[in-house]
Amino acid sequence: MAADAGLDEARSASDVARDAAFERDALPWLDDVYRFALSLTREESDADDVVQETFLRAYRSWHTFIPGTDCRRWLFTICRNVFLRSRERQRPTVDLEDGEQDAVAAGSVYAAAREKGYDDIYARLDLAPALRDALDELAEPFRSAVILVDVEDLSYESAAEVMGVPIGTVRSRLFRGRRLLQEKLVTVAEDLGFQGAAVA
Amino acid sequence: MMSAPARSQLEALGLSASCAEVLTHLWDYLDEQITPTSAERLAAHIATCATCRQYEEYQECFLRAMAGLKQELNAPRSLRERLATRLKGQGCGCWDKVSRQP
Repeated sequence: MAADAGLDEARSASDVARDAAFERDALPWLDDVYRFALSLTREESDADDVVQETFLRAYRSWHTFIPGTDCRRWLFTICRNVFLRSRERQRPTVDLEDGEQDAVAAGSVYAAAREKGYDDIYARLDLAPALRDALDELAEPFRSAVILVDVEDLSYESAAEVMGVPIGTVRSRLFRGRRLLQEKLVTVAEDLGFQGAAVA
Repeated sequence: MMSAPARSQLEALGLSASCAEVLTHLWDYLDEQITPTSAERLAAHIATCATCRQYEEYQECFLRAMAGLKQELNAPRSLRERLATRLKGQGCGCWDKVSRQP
């Protein structure tokens, strides 16, 4: 009995330490994980489910988290896996040779916007609602790349780990996503009847 | 090595070599994904080319707008409360901290 009591005490101390670490390292990222989940599911109720499952799995698997490493990245990875499994689909694959084509194409989008006088739309319009809508319409896996790097400020390397793809693929998807978003925003400016000063 | 479609796009735009390099690698530059030597070369050109400077400002504004989205969307209170309940059910000792987070 005394041995059992000792075991219970030891387990309790271990549990307390785990819970303290979970509170300190994992819980502060709840909002970040929610944003990422919402970008994946596009539906708030689905995002709620994904976030709950992410944190429950993280808690159950806390022994696999390496202290001192990037907990947010670890949570994002779990989140993405939970989402993919919930949709019972394979990780999408996209064939993109490189990011240069999209980078150059973005320049063309800018040139066209500039001709219409839309090159200062970011300064003159509150584009946050339009950006959110455009992000919702953006296809996976471009959406994940843009959210992770541009909104959540992950490095290419961290985003690659979360998405389970090489860094070059993150770059390609990111550049494609940015270019598509910028095309959509120019369309939004046109639809809003934005009056720009056309370049002669 | 640049792909053929990207190269032909660039040729169609008729840019100088330096402007073409900025156009092709501006995002790498802004994301700090290129070598310091390349970054210095791009920065030097941007400093002297009004067109490239305007394009850089345009892309910086876009990236700032994207980063700004982060401030607008947080986990709803209802989610925090449900997660707290689920964690409590798992025996998590810090379940009550979930709904207390800002």
